[in-house]
Amino acid sequence: MQLSNIRRSFGSIHALKGVDLNINHGEIIGLVGENGAGKSTLMKIMSGFDDGFEGEFLVDNVPVKLGTPQKAQEQGIAIAQQELSLIPALTVAENIFIGGDHGPTVASLGQLSKMARPFLDEVGLENVSAKTLVNRLSIGERQLVEVARLIAHKPNLLILDEPTAALGESDSNRILEMVKRLKAAGKSVIYVSHRLDEIFKITDRCIILRDGLSQDSVDTKELDTNKLVSMMLGRELHSMFPPRDFSKNNTKNKTIRFEVNSLWPDRTLVPINMKIYAGEILGLAGQLGSGSGEVLAAMAGMHDTQGGSITDCYTQENYLPKNAKQAISKGIAYGSPDRKYDGLFLGRSISENLSSPNLKGISSKGIIQPQKERPLVEDIAKSFTIDLTRLAQEASVLSGGNQQKVALGKWLSISPELILIDEPTRGVDVGARAEIYNKVREIADSGKAVVIASTDLLEISNLPDRVICFYKGCYVSELVGEEINSTNILQAITNPENILLEDAS
Amino acid sequence: MCDVTQGQRGKTMNLIKQKLTELDPDLLFAVILSLCVFSFFAFSNPLFFTLNAGFSIMERFAVLGLVGLALTLCIIAGEIDLSIGSNAALSAVIVVRLTDSMGAFPAIGIGVLCATLIGLAQGYLIAYLKVRAIVLTVGTLMLLRGVALFAADEKTVMLTDFRMTDFIQEKIWIFFSPASLLVILLFIIVGVFIKYTKYGREIYAIGGARKEAIASGVNLKRPMMIVFALSGFCAGMGGAIIGLRSGTAQPLALQYLLLAATVAAFIGGVNILGGKGSVIGAAVGVLTVNFLNTGLVYNVTPSYVVQIYLGVLLLIVIVFQTLSILYDKGKQRRLLLHDTALTKQKMIDAYKSVLK
Amino acid sequence: MSALEYSTSMSSGWLAKKITKENRVGFAILVVISIAFIYFAIATPNYLSVFNVKTIIRDAAIVGIMGIGLTFVTLSGNFFLLSMKETAALSIIVFAMGMSNDYGFIFSMLGAMSIAVLAGAFQGILIGLGGNPIIVTLGAAGILYGVASWWSDNLVIFFKRPHDAEWLGTGMVLGVPTITISFVIFAIIAELVLRKTSFGRQVYLVGANRAAGKATGHENLPMAIKTCIIASACCAFAAIAFSAQMSSAQANYFSSEFGSSGDLTILVIATVMVAGNSIMGGYGSVLRTSLGAVFISATDNLMVLQGFNSGARVLSVGLMIVLSILIFAYVRRDSRSEG
Repeated sequence: MQLSNIRRSFGSIHALKGVDLNINHGEIIGLVGENGAGKSTLMKIMSGFDDGFEGEFLVDNVPVKLGTPQKAQEQGIAIAQQELSLIPALTVAENIFIGGDHGPTVASLGQLSKMARPFLDEVGLENVSAKTLVNRLSIGERQLVEVARLIAHKPNLLILDEPTAALGESDSNRILEMVKRLKAAGKSVIYVSHRLDEIFKITDRCIILRDGLSQDSVDTKELDTNKLVSMMLGRELHSMFPPRDFSKNNTKNKTIRFEVNSLWPDRTLVPINMKIYAGEILGLAGQLGSGSGEVLAAMAGMHDTQGGSITDCYTQENYLPKNAKQAISKGIAYGSPDRKYDGLFLGRSISENLSSPNLKGISSKGIIQPQKERPLVEDIAKSFTIDLTRLAQEASVLSGGNQQKVALGKWLSISPELILIDEPTRGVDVGARAEIYNKVREIADSGKAVVIASTDLLEISNLPDRVICFYKGCYVSELVGEEINSTNILQAITNPENILLEDAS
Repeated sequence: MCDVTQGQRGKTMNLIKQKLTELDPDLLFAVILSLCVFSFFAFSNPLFFTLNAGFSIMERFAVLGLVGLALTLCIIAGEIDLSIGSNAALSAVIVVRLTDSMGAFPAIGIGVLCATLIGLAQGYLIAYLKVRAIVLTVGTLMLLRGVALFAADEKTVMLTDFRMTDFIQEKIWIFFSPASLLVILLFIIVGVFIKYTKYGREIYAIGGARKEAIASGVNLKRPMMIVFALSGFCAGMGGAIIGLRSGTAQPLALQYLLLAATVAAFIGGVNILGGKGSVIGAAVGVLTVNFLNTGLVYNVTPSYVVQIYLGVLLLIVIVFQTLSILYDKGKQRRLLLHDTALTKQKMIDAYKSVLK
Repeated sequence: MSALEYSTSMSSGWLAKKITKENRVGFAILVVISIAFIYFAIATPNYLSVFNVKTIIRDAAIVGIMGIGLTFVTLSGNFFLLSMKETAALSIIVFAMGMSNDYGFIFSMLGAMSIAVLAGAFQGILIGLGGNPIIVTLGAAGILYGVASWWSDNLVIFFKRPHDAEWLGTGMVLGVPTITISFVIFAIIAELVLRKTSFGRQVYLVGANRAAGKATGHENLPMAIKTCIIASACCAFAAIAFSAQMSSAQANYFSSEFGSSGDLTILVIATVMVAGNSIMGGYGSVLRTSLGAVFISATDNLMVLQGFNSGARVLSVGLMIVLSILIFAYVRRDSRSEG
């Protein structure tokens, strides 16, 4: 397959500005890049989910126009996306043949099982019966079934999007083995992952995306972590981060504002203890499912825990919120990672969004007082540089960056003491990112406690004053001051064996 | 997992255990409930246990079975057809009106065809315009009522010669009649269709996991139209049977079918979230409701009290389902915590071995 | 933001939304319908007379009041209740029993209201805990109607005239029937509650995005309970008014063709949907629903005057519902996710 100078814009947002990608038969390419670099857009184009792009797209030297995923399948391209699309209520065999025309129209479960067997064996699921219901399988097995479903279409090119994101050690290895087998069978694989160790293990070449542009592809042999990271992050973007004063970290007069005691959110291996200081930005680094996001959500009552508490060191209160209402009453604000899902009321006005967590504060005896709501809302809008004339408009008309400002800004309405933000700038353009970072720094400087969790390497290396690293549900290490840089963090969150060994001994 | 060193007896025990866990708990519940209801009425009223009663139950089964089957399919697909009663009433009106002039069979054909086309049209609108079925069928419920009123000139339509349609109620093999046999046949056909064909599986897919199904390449339109066309067909058939059986058709009747069929579907094991259910379950659910209905009638209970029973039954089943969903969530959480503990142990062991 | 700014922004926004969502076709249909309506209105003798207009609004009152209650439920994202006419049936029986036993208006009304509130709370709890509103209310409907019939042995309950509730049933104030005035008062109060109180704001928020509501401290359970209670109370009031008019009650008063347009529950749902309230919640208003009730009543009245029979009228209402659903689905198809 060959892609040349692919460009794709969504309105004023240029997702891809000129991407080149070549892949030959029997090759494994790693596709690497930060969040927002354009990976998912590129994958959608390659797999036929998006045809609104400009540029050349050749398969076996023939230009193709893939309008639908079905056409992509006909060309022999298959994609396994990050969100599994298996149907839990059906069996493995049924899932393998659902959708598309490659399965039989009339067949009993037994017949389907027989037909599914070779594909299951090929992905390493020899011990799993094809008659098992998918909802009885582990995540790792489900991931493999997803791939089995793909190869049942007999594709020539497979695109795997973060196949090991939710998997443990042994399951990840199974996936890697399977990819090697596919290569041996002459198939091509585009392997997209944040797990740089895996990229190093199995890929022949790497293509790095940054800001919608592709760098020249590099042979994996010639890469190491440092080189890869620098190609991914570039150098220009540091200016969007407010400057940090590391001398603050050394003062013995730092006040502990909150303490997290033995907080044990589900999915974390051991209880977590943390100290949060007033006036600092604490960063939690870790990949999806490593515990960084779970800790944050648990502190705000939005995630189940097996125990633990937060201590407010000013009032000596000890508590653990069980839901948002309780968290709000304690002055804890939690910005969730998915604003479209639960961060915004898209059909309502911006003004209503901004005042939503604190209806009590703007009403008296149950009646909303516009003379309280208006100044509150206008203040927040001003401080987040949201255009005041747009306050009556629906939140859905805003750009991603402005939406995030509203989603975060609404928490100011409760005058929070502890601000928790998971993914502060997901899906936000550069300009708005700078504004949000400045605002977060401002809030911290005013004496509040701020904790952010992020999978964006650039962000987590440049914004916080202190970083705690998580890996697969474990606390790995704490980085302070000059220790905070992308390489250290990346190492800690993807390959921390050395660090953990030190701790273990 | 079987330990290789276990003997023959151990292996059989495990096989039995495995088969038991594979059994659907909801279906089991439905069968037990059905037997309970039956026994209750059988013991409290000797008339209930007679052959006549059996015939009457099967006759009810013919109509409710059709509607129950249709609703089961709709709910499995993640939707619901509220207009099924109106569609059936319309069909009854059409069939009864046309029987005089064309004879029973052509009239049935036309009536059923109309109902099926209506169902197909609804399925089309739901699939293409992405309207939710709940919303659309509220409107069509009213619309079809109006059409039925129109077609019946607002009167109760009657046959001129009632004997023409007596054959529908002929007793065959003591319990059955042409109507109920036809319905049983339909159950079998649909059951096979659902289980053994790709189209049937797609219906399950779009029910419980619609996003995933679409991502897997399932074309939403095909299963949706099939389900609603079937629903229309069943409504049409049911209306035809009722109409010809009684020789009359009222344009505003048959609204009770919705509640009764919904109860039957839920007893039979459908889940409101979709993706779960079976034809056998539908049959058991319909039988249970029929036992209840017939039993109460034999106990001379007025119809509005029967409604209370049905309503209570529905709510009980809903509560039971909600509780089992909560139980499942709890179980999943326990599994998750168990897994986490295992992973922790593995990591500790791995590091211990490296350190040595 | 002042009330004036707010209302103008809401209404112009509504209009702008109608046109800018690439929906030339839908808007054009609306214009055509309006023109046709105006033509027939003018062409039909007696249609635009004061008397007829008053009749239209009065006929819209009972359905309108119930619609106002239902709007709360729909706005909060809980779809609709299929048990409206059954709640009304039970309420009317309780009220009539009170009246016929000389308990007087106040007590009878309190009795009917309490039953309705209980019924509403019960359904609200089940729905708030996660039950599907359609199924829960379908079951509740059966129970409520059954109890109503059983309690009254399915007989008609009469109470002698003149009775305590004459003012409501047949009374007039300044030439306007009290029932119409009640309708207007209900509409005004409800709209004020929705726009000005924090409860009303919560209804909109939870309806717009339940997860975001949860994240900002507004759970669905209390909303479901309160909105269901409101809807049931409105049903009770409408039932009381109707009973006062008829000086009698029977459980099936609301079951058979109510008025001339068929199933009352569906009619109430129709007023909410045809008026353009979003079925998914979070968007719409009581004002719209009231206008919807009047519009349906106006259309029905027009058809009666033009000599259509009830079949045609039921058909038209059904057609209106279906068309409005389709039009709104077409307009909003961009802002909705798959399935």
